[in-house]
Amino acid sequence: MAFNYKTEFQRYRRYYQSLEPTFTKPKSRAYTTIIFSFLAVSLFGWYAIRPTIQTILFLQREIRDKTELNKKMEDKIAALIEAQAYYQEVEPLLPVVDQALPTIPDAIPLLIQLRNLASRSGTLIGAVQLPTIPLTGQEIGPAGKDAKLSSPGANKEHIYDLSISVRGSYPSIRTFLEGITQMRRIVSVDALAVIPMKADFEGSASAIPSSRVLQLALKLKTYYLVE
Amino acid sequence: MDNDRDLLLISVFTFFTVGLWITFELLKTSRTTTVSQSTQQIVVPLTAKIDVDTLTAMVNRKVF
Repeated sequence: MAFNYKTEFQRYRRYYQSLEPTFTKPKSRAYTTIIFSFLAVSLFGWYAIRPTIQTILFLQREIRDKTELNKKMEDKIAALIEAQAYYQEVEPLLPVVDQALPTIPDAIPLLIQLRNLASRSGTLIGAVQLPTIPLTGQEIGPAGKDAKLSSPGANKEHIYDLSISVRGSYPSIRTFLEGITQMRRIVSVDALAVIPMKADFEGSASAIPSSRVLQLALKLKTYYLVE
Repeated sequence: MDNDRDLLLISVFTFFTVGLWITFELLKTSRTTTVSQSTQQIVVPLTAKIDVDTLTAMVNRKVF
């Protein structure tokens, strides 16, 4: 159907003419002004004022953040320079940290140290019990649950238990215990029991003097730090 | 007349809703940091002191 502009014009003219008396009323005019003012402010507020103020606030915040960041970076650079000086000073001492807290379980070197300590202190190692522990410090499977790979505090620290039983005289056992507390490798005594030995052991051919032979059962905890 | 009042109410509520929305958006913008998480990790303060006493104590411990 062709668009007849004459009839359409007349139709819209009638509409506008019918609206005219409504807008001539002061109350309607006031209402219309207020309504359109609110709508206009809302519209421009959302599409014009909000992005502008948002950009201003974002830039202000960025300036503040960058200034603060710059100051923190300068502080950190100064601290790093200072730390480097300290590090160079203590660098020769650092391997002892690895000896105290190795990055792998290092069970064999620990056992060797305990054996050397026992021979130095004049005690005899009766038994040593180790849980299943990973050689490389990686997590182990379900078979190695006894290794007690717990993680106190940081999840990089690992603990495993070690039970050892030694026998000897009171002074030698005491020396052995003191040696454990003075070992560079961090070993803590979790539990200990001192049991007097039976007479049949005392009569046997042994390097230990037969008088007052004691057995020391120790439960130790040792640590390593997985990097 | 009721129609006018309804329209006025709608426009007023629209105005307040948009106003509140803008306010919260602006608050969010001003509160949100522009520094990325990785940069925040980089600028974590560093204590330059190294505990030499502990190191010396460890050196003094024995290796059997």
